[in-house]
Formats: sequence, structure tokens, C-alpha cells
Amino acid sequence: MASKRQKDSPEEEKKQASSFPDEVLECVLGFVKSHRDRSSVSLVCKDWYNAERWSRTHVFIGNCYSVSPEILVRRFPNIRSVTLKGKPRFSDFNLVPLNWGADIHAWLVVFASAYSFLEELRLKRMTITDESLEFLAKSFPNFKALSLVSCDGFSTDGLKAIVAHCKNLTELDILENGIDDLGGSWLSCFPENFTSLEVLNFASLNSEVNFDALERLVARCKSLKVLKVNKNVTLEQLQRLLVHTSQLTELGTGSFSQELTLREYSELESAFSNCKNLYTLSGLSEATSLYLPALYPACVNLTFLNLSDAALQSAELAKLLPHCPHLRRLWVLDTVEDKGLEAVGSSCPLLEELRVFPAEPFEQDVVIGGVTESGFVAVSQGCRKLHYVLYFCRRMTNSAVAAVVKNCPDFTHFRLCIMNPWEPDYLTKEPMDEAFGVVVKTCTKLQRLAVSGLLTDLTFEYIGKYAKNLETLSVAFAGSSDRGMQCVLAGCPKLRKLEIRDCPFGNAALLSGLERYESMRSLWMSACHVTMNGCRLLAREMPRLNVEVIKEDGSDDTHAEKVYVYRSVAGPRRDAPPFVLTL
Amino acid sequence: MGRSTNSSSSSIDSSNHPSLSCASSLQTKKDLSTDLRLGLNISTSSEIDNFSNNSREQSSDWPPLKPLLRSTLAEKGSNRQRTSYFVKVYMEGVPIGRKLDLFAHNDYDGLVRTLGQMFRTTILCPDIDGVLSDNDHVLTYEDKEGDWMMVGDVPWEMFLTTVKRLKITRADKC
Repeated sequence: MASKRQKDSPEEEKKQASSFPDEVLECVLGFVKSHRDRSSVSLVCKDWYNAERWSRTHVFIGNCYSVSPEILVRRFPNIRSVTLKGKPRFSDFNLVPLNWGADIHAWLVVFASAYSFLEELRLKRMTITDESLEFLAKSFPNFKALSLVSCDGFSTDGLKAIVAHCKNLTELDILENGIDDLGGSWLSCFPENFTSLEVLNFASLNSEVNFDALERLVARCKSLKVLKVNKNVTLEQLQRLLVHTSQLTELGTGSFSQELTLREYSELESAFSNCKNLYTLSGLSEATSLYLPALYPACVNLTFLNLSDAALQSAELAKLLPHCPHLRRLWVLDTVEDKGLEAVGSSCPLLEELRVFPAEPFEQDVVIGGVTESGFVAVSQGCRKLHYVLYFCRRMTNSAVAAVVKNCPDFTHFRLCIMNPWEPDYLTKEPMDEAFGVVVKTCTKLQRLAVSGLLTDLTFEYIGKYAKNLETLSVAFAGSSDRGMQCVLAGCPKLRKLEIRDCPFGNAALLSGLERYESMRSLWMSACHVTMNGCRLLAREMPRLNVEVIKEDGSDDTHAEKVYVYRSVAGPRRDAPPFVLTL
Repeated sequence: MGRSTNSSSSSIDSSNHPSLSCASSLQTKKDLSTDLRLGLNISTSSEIDNFSNNSREQSSDWPPLKPLLRSTLAEKGSNRQRTSYFVKVYMEGVPIGRKLDLFAHNDYDGLVRTLGQMFRTTILCPDIDGVLSDNDHVLTYEDKEGDWMMVGDVPWEMFLTTVKRLKITRADKC
């Protein structure tokens, strides 16, 4: 039951008689979906602020510590869907210690009383325990969608509670979490009369689920649109599942290698022929050229192909791609090499996003294999609509990057990771400054940038001067002095997230951003030259920022090894563990 | 972790190139893997290499890859690097030998089972099976130094680095 607004006093009613009735305004605002637009709406005037807050049903909180659950429920009484992000992004790479925080429980307790009709909860980089999952399952009778991405703290036992108690569950999306996989029996906890599932993603869970239970579940959930299974599901089992699911729009297969008889293979092929509605395909672990052709009939409408689990060779990729004429997003491993990327260039004219992940990221002595600057250029030549790239490589040149952005000037996301730190231009041995210079000069719509390779302050001068739409910047092993960071903070008006590691930026750089940090979501600096005194100064000057230092064992007391600065209306954290110092 | 050594000095001369001071920590990792490889008689990475790789991977924070992708790739990496290592196996009294891929096994039990099937005999381990009679067979191997040793005394991974050939001999010879 949505809470109703109290009637205004007679005086106010008179004033409003000439303006838009509240109910109409709220109705109109119901069509405004984007949270940024809603934020703008709420700033127009008091009436609009109120109309907006009463009509908002979905809230997005990019930093769980920027606001408290109490403040949230006071402002927005009718929320049905909450998206929360917790830890700083570098926690994905083991830079944030365990038990740092971002625990959802306090939020759930408040939601249980204020938002009893809550339907959706989407968490990224938060901690959620089995107890919290059980609490969630039992507190919200209308609960429909749970999405946990890069979260930790729970086990498959917690999933059992969700599955068993949420009668109206439509979505269960468990992705890349650090969880205790205690077995696959959670899947068997779906009640036999349960049929509402539309999205099921357990691809990143390791243990085997009961296949019969899965098959029965898939057969009775006629609205199932998204199904992503884990590696333990075999090809033969997949075929049995596909028989029930011709309406799937997203499929994540299990392991794609198995000894199949000719008959089993043709059954698989016809199962895939039935999947004409697929837009997204992923999984395919251990896929080989032997069975990939069975897939071809299902690729006809594909817009997103995720091959980051399938170590394909260039020839296999070259044979697969012509069957995907509508491909817009492609994720691959660098086993496809430059030759595979040439095939991408020639087969995917509509491609908008490319991510190339390294198959052997920890081998520093790899001389053959992987992708190079030529592959990058080859893709750009054929895929002129490319605007999102994430490219892991071991060598790159300034001229190659210049060629790429000349072909594709519309980049909004340019993330280049040259895996060996401080790696210079492969041909000229010069810094890679000019590469990123030409990116920011040419790509005026650039929102997100990740830099790598040997970089001096010049790169950051370019960024500050040209990257006027930049919102997120990731920097590692780069720069020569404080000046680099100062240029960015002074020059990028739309900067919201700045994450820096292993750079020679110190207190002068940190403090040059005093005026900026309140308009940003957060700043992360680790292994730089910032000291505790510098952080204290920042905290003193800017009381509405939370300035936190993560103390590592054995580091010296003056150096601030890991600094996390963010704006907050909730004040300093009350749940900080002992190794997080709030200054 | 000692990943970035430049952070310990409080004043860095701006003329110092960062790579000179930061490079040493990553350089150490590189040397470690080379040293381990030099100690092995196998040219491709053996499981010992993967061991050290794994422990570094767990604590590694570079390149910036998510943990799940990291561990999936680690598995893939070790699977693909593991090629094969075939050694000759002779049974005493049988002039024609066989060849066996040691990398296809994870431990001594697997090896003994396979050999038992290959040679249609039971191979016994002295310490587990108690006193042997003269008609039983045991498994021996020739190591890098040319000595013939009883199989099973050293950890499996170490065995792989030193074994050159196998022989199934009668117990009375041991």
C-alpha cells in the first residue's frame, strides 16, 4: 500500500490552485525514469521536489555510505526497488581488506518497516550474510528480484532461504561473488508449484545443482527469459533444457565440451535452432571448433556475445562471427589474437563494444600470443561505430591508438590496459602520452578513461585540457609529479570518480582538489605519496567529506597507504572496522 | 606486500623516474618464476610453477581483473600449459616397453592404477602393503642423476621434476 500524501493547509491550496495539480504532476513524473533526470526535477522548486519524492519508486545509491537508510526512507516513502553500491571499485582487485564494511543488514532492517512492499534489491560490492538473506526473504512478501554482483559474506545456504520463501520471485542473479559455495542443493528448494521465474543466473557458482530439479524448474517457468547455468551443466543436459525454453532472450551455457554422439549433436543443433529469440549468449567454457557450429542457428539475432570463458582461436572466431550479423557487443579472450580481431573488423560492422581479456594475465614472459596494437587497429577499421573498448595487451604504440580514434572518434569508454607497468611505446620506446592525448582531443564524448603504459604528467595535462565530459578516470603506475593529478582536478568539470594507484601524487595533489571532491562521488588513492597529515588537513577543511585511511599492518604511521574520500550527508561511518581511520 | 617500493620514501625527487624505483618490486616476481623454472628438467611449466603462480595470484592485484575471471583464467592457464610428459616404462622380463604420460595423473595412486592396467599386474607399495613376497612387483624410477629409486618417497610434484623413466621390478631386487 503506497503511503498517501497529507493534504496541504488551506493557504497553500489557494497558492497551488493556479499551478499544476499535485496528482497530475506526480503522474507525469512517473514517466521520468532516469535517476539523474529525477534528481534534476527535484531541484526545480519545492513543489516539484515533493512531487518527485512521492512518485519515485526506484532509487539508485552509488555509494552506500553517502546517505543513511533513515535519511533515505524519510525522503522517499514509496520505493519498490533499490540499487546500492558499496565498496570502492579497486576492491575487485584485492586492494580493500576483508570486513571493510558495506554491510546491507542495517538497510534491510529500516526497509522492513518503511518499505514493506519492496520488490527489487540490486547490490554491487556489498556484504550480505546468510542471516540477512533469510531476513530479506521473510520480511518482504512482494519481493521479486534479487541481483548480487561482486558481493561477499554469504553462502549458498542463504540462497536457499530466498528460493524457499520468496513466492513471487522473478529474478535471481548471482554474479561473480566471493561466496561460500556449499553445494547446489539451493536450487532444489524452489517449491514445486513455483512458476514465476523470469531470470536465473547462477553461472558463477561452482557446485553442481540437481539437474532434474533444474529441468523441472525450467519446464514449469513459462516466462523464463534469462537462463545462465554453471559449468557443471553438460551439453547433453543443456539440450534438454533448451527444449523447454524457446522464448529465451539470454542464454549462458555450461561446459561446451563433451563426447557427443552424432544423434546427440544433431539434437543439440535443432535445440539451438529453436532459440531464435536469443539476444545474449555467454558461457561456452571449453568450447571447441567441434561443437561450436551447433550454435550457429541461435546466433541470428544475437547482439551480445560473451566469449570471455571460451578460449577460442582466431579461426574458430572467424567462422563463428559471420553467423552473428547483428552483433553490437563482443567480449573475447586474447587467445583469438590479432588475426581473430581482424575477423571482428571484417564481420561485425555494427559493433559498438569490444572487450578483450587476457588468457594468461600472470605470465610476464609471454612473447607470443595475446593481442597487440595491430589487432586494435584492425577492429577500428571495420567497426566504425565502436564506442566502448576494454583492451588488455602487452604492447601498444602511440600511432596505433591515433589510428584507432581516427577511425572511431565516438568513444565514450576507452579503457586500455597495457599489462606491464610503465611499458613505453613498443616501437619508439617513448611514453604513451601522445596516445591518450589524441584520445581526449578526438573523443569529445569520452565519459570513462583508464590509462596505462609509461606516462608522464603530459598525459594528465591533456586530460585536464580536453576531457571535458570525463566522469570516471582510472590511473595506475603513471605520472611524474603532483602536477599530473592537479591538472585533472582543475580541468575536468564532470569528474565523478577518480581512482589512482601507485602514482607519485602527494599531498599537494590531494589538496588541490579541495573544491572538487564535494561534486564527486569518490576519490581513491593507494600506494601514492599522500601522508596522514595531508589527509587530516583535507578532513579539517572539508567537514562534509569522509576522509578515510585504510591502515595496513606494518606500514609506517605517517604514510597514508590507502585513502578513500567521498561526500556524504550521513556523516562519518559508524560501522568502520579498526583498520579504517576516519579523519 | 611490497608491491610499490616507492611509497616508503617520503620525498621523491621529481627528477627520479618512477619506473626506476617502482620497478624493483615487480622485478622480484619475475625473477622468482625464472629461478623456479631453472631448477626443473622440464621445459614447459610444471605444476610447481603453477603452485607459485597460484599463491601470487591469490594476493595479486595486478593486472586489474576480477577474482572470478582471475581464477577461471588461472585454471585455464594451468590446464593449457600442462601439455604432456611421456616417460618409458619397462617391466622386468618384458623386452618391449610402454610409454606413459605422467602429466595425465595427479598423484601416485593414479599412476599405479594406470600401470597396473597397462601391465596387468599389481604394483605394491612397500610401506603400505607390508612385507612383500618375492613374486610381487614394485615401481622404481631413474632420476636426473641416473640413480634408480623407489617410487613414492617424495611429493608427487617433486617426483615429476626428477623422474626420467620408470621400471617395474620384482620385489626381491629391492
